[in-house]
Amino acid sequence: MQSKRLGWILLAPTLVILFFFGVLPFFYVVFVSFHSWNPFAVNPEMVFNGADNFRQIVFDPAFLHSIGVTVMFVFFAVVSELILGYILAQAFMRDFPGKAIFRTIHTLPLIMAPIIVGSVWKLMTTPSIGIIPHYLDEWFGITMNIGTSAPAAFATIVLMDVWHWTPLVTLTLIAALVSLPPDPFEQAQIDGAGKRQIFWHITLPMIAPAVVATVFIRLMDALRTVDEVWMLTGGGPGSATRFVGVHIFKEVFPKTNYGYGSTISVIVLYLTIVSCWLLYVTMLAPRTKRD
Amino acid sequence: MNTFKLSASALALTVAASSAFAEIDEAWWKSAAEPYQGVTIRGVTESSPPSLYIREVLAPEFEELTGIRVDIETTSWDQMFDKAIKDMEAGTGIYDMAYIEQDIIYSYLARDFLTDLTQLLADNPDLKAATYDESNFTTFADYFKDSEGHLYGVPMEAFLKVYLYRTDLFEDPEIREAFKEKTGRDLEPATNHADYAEIAQFFTAYGEENDMDLWGTTAQAHTGHVASWYEYWESVAPTFGVYNWGINADENYGSSVANGGEMNGPEAVEAMQWWLSMRDIAPPESPASTWTEVGTTFGAGRVAQGLVYGENAGWIAADESKSLVVGKVGVALPPLAEGVLEEVEAGEGYIGYYDGGAFGLPHSSKNKEATALFLQYIGQNEVQPDWAVAAPRVTNTATYDDPKVVEFNKELGGYYDLIKDKGYLFAGAPAYPFHAQVREATAPIFYQILTGNLGVQEGLDQMAATAEATLTELGYRE
Repeated sequence: MQSKRLGWILLAPTLVILFFFGVLPFFYVVFVSFHSWNPFAVNPEMVFNGADNFRQIVFDPAFLHSIGVTVMFVFFAVVSELILGYILAQAFMRDFPGKAIFRTIHTLPLIMAPIIVGSVWKLMTTPSIGIIPHYLDEWFGITMNIGTSAPAAFATIVLMDVWHWTPLVTLTLIAALVSLPPDPFEQAQIDGAGKRQIFWHITLPMIAPAVVATVFIRLMDALRTVDEVWMLTGGGPGSATRFVGVHIFKEVFPKTNYGYGSTISVIVLYLTIVSCWLLYVTMLAPRTKRD
Repeated sequence: MNTFKLSASALALTVAASSAFAEIDEAWWKSAAEPYQGVTIRGVTESSPPSLYIREVLAPEFEELTGIRVDIETTSWDQMFDKAIKDMEAGTGIYDMAYIEQDIIYSYLARDFLTDLTQLLADNPDLKAATYDESNFTTFADYFKDSEGHLYGVPMEAFLKVYLYRTDLFEDPEIREAFKEKTGRDLEPATNHADYAEIAQFFTAYGEENDMDLWGTTAQAHTGHVASWYEYWESVAPTFGVYNWGINADENYGSSVANGGEMNGPEAVEAMQWWLSMRDIAPPESPASTWTEVGTTFGAGRVAQGLVYGENAGWIAADESKSLVVGKVGVALPPLAEGVLEEVEAGEGYIGYYDGGAFGLPHSSKNKEATALFLQYIGQNEVQPDWAVAAPRVTNTATYDDPKVVEFNKELGGYYDLIKDKGYLFAGAPAYPFHAQVREATAPIFYQILTGNLGVQEGLDQMAATAEATLTELGYRE
C-alpha cells in the first residue's frame, strides 16, 4: 500500500507537467478547432462555427496536397532509413578496422538540431555555391536547382532526413540484434537454412518489435517535420515540399488563422494515431496472437 | 575601410560613441531613472545590424548611465513576429519593447497592442528627456503615428530598396565600348525597364562569353519564401504603376480589375512578365534567394546591377570583411515605366519600398516608464551618427549633416543623399491591418507562377480572387 502511494508521489511531478503542457493544450486546440478565430479579422474574437472548419478541410486542395506530399515523404524517408539502418546495424555487428571511429561519426547527425541540419543542407544545395550541385555538374553534367525543380527539392529533403535519422534506426536495430539468442541461428545453420531464409524467418520476426517501435518513432517524427524543410525550401518550389507541418505553421503563425489551423492539427493528430494503429495491427498484433 | 566594427568589436563602437555620450545630460537621466533601479526591461527584435547595435552598444550605455538593465533578444524575422504577437495577444508582458516592422504597424494598431508614446510622455512630464523630440525624426516616423499624429514607435531603422549597380563595370572603357557596339547607346544606369533589361542581358552574356561568374541582374525570386512576393508587389509592380498590391481600399478592397482593383490588370501582368524575364537571366541561386541571399550575391561580385535592400547596400558598399565590391557601388532610382515618376511626383503612388521599423511599447509591458526612458534614449539625435555609420540607417533628420555620416555617405555611393533627397518617392507597405493574412493567402499561388505551373495572367487572376475571398472572410470586404 505504502509503495503504491510512493509510486504516485514520485509520478506526480511528471503527471502535473504532462497535464499542463500536454493534456490541457490538447483540449484547448480541440476547443479552438470548432471556432473561427483570426485576431487580425474585423472581429478578432473567437466565434463558434460548429463543424465548419472540418467540412472546409475536406475540400481544401492545399491541405489535401500537403497530406499527399507528406505521405510520400514519410514513405520514402522511413523505408530508406529502415533498409539503410539495418544494413549499417549488420555492418556494426562485425569487426572491421576503425569501427569505433566510424560508429561515432555515424551518430553525429543525431546530436544536431533540425534547424542546423536544414541550414547546412541549404548551404550544400544552393546553386552556384553548394558542394552538391557543383559536383553533380562537374562529374555528371547534371544541373541541380532546388529552387526550380520540384523533384530535386523533394529528393533532397528525403536525403537530408535519411542522413539525419538513419543513425537512430541503426542504434535501435543494433540493440535488437545484440539481444538475439544465438541458438535459433545455430539451429537454422545446422538444418541448412540459407542467409535469406534466416533473415526472413528468424531475424526479422525476432526483431519485429524493435522495427515497429522504430517505425512508430520515425513515422510520428516525419509527419511533423517542419524545421529542416522550413530552412531548406520553405515549402517550395511552389508547394512541392509544403508538408503538412509546414502547412500548419503557415496557417497558424503568419496567417494567424488559429481556428482553421487548430482543425488541421487535430486531423493530423488523428491521422497519425490511425497510421500507428494500422501499423500495430498489421505487424505486431498477429504475432501477439500467435504467441 | 572596415566600418562594421559591430561584429568584430562592440567595444570599439562603444568608445567611438563616447563623444555623443558626453553631450547627454547625465544628471537628468540618472535622476529620471532613480525610481526604476533594479528594473530589467526586455525587448525582442530581428537580428539585423541596427538591432545588434542597440544590443551591443546602446543598451549597455543606457544601463551604465541609468542603472536600468536592458535585455535585447535578437532573433529571426518570423520568430520575432511570432514571439511579440503571442506576448501581446496573451498580455503576458514578457517584452517591454517589440520591434514593429513598418508593414505590421497597422495590424498592431488595429488590435490596440501598443502604447501611445506621445500621450505617455505628455501624461508623465518627469519622464520626458530634453534631448528627445518627435520632430527630430524624418518623415518615416509618420508611418508609426495614428490619425491624430500620436507616435506609437520610436524609429530605429529606415532603408530604401534601391537600384544598386557596379561602378567599376559601368565605367570600364572596354565594357562601355562593347556595350555601345552591341546596343548603340552609352552604358548608364537604367531609367526604364527596357534599358535595364538590355543591360542585364548584356552582362549575363558578357559573363558567359568571358567565363566569369557574372550575371546582369539580381532577382529575389525564392519559390517558397515571401521574399519573392515582396520583391514583386513592393519593388517591381509599383515601377509599372501598380500600387498597394493592386488592392483598391476605396472600392471595397477590390483586387481584381472587375472589382476596381489592379492585381490582375495589364500593368501587373506586364510587370510580372518583365520580372520573370529578369529572373531567368539572373544568377542560378535566384530561385532560392531571399533578401539576404540577394545581398550576398551582390556582395560576392556576381551581378552588375539589381534591386537591393538598403540594410544590405551599406555593407556591400563599405564592409571589406564581407563584400568584394567595396568602393565599386553606385546607387540610383529604380527603372520606371513611362508616366510613373510624374504620377508619383503628383502624390498618386510610389516607386519602391521604404523599409524600416521602430521599437514599440506594448500595453502588456509591466515596465512602461523605464521603457519610455530607453526608447527616448535611442531616439536622441546625439546617439544617431555612430549608429548610422555602424549599421547604415537614418531615422533623424539631423543625422544626414553629421560629418561622420557625410563622410560615410561617400563610401556608400551617395546612398544617404538618395534617401534624403528622393526618399519621398518611396513608400512603406500599404496601411492594411490584414497585411500578413492576404500575403500568406496569395503567396502559394504566386509561387506557382514562379515555377511555371501557372501562367502569369491565370495566376494573377487567382491571386486577385483569393485576396478578395480572404478579405471577405476577415470581414474587411463586404
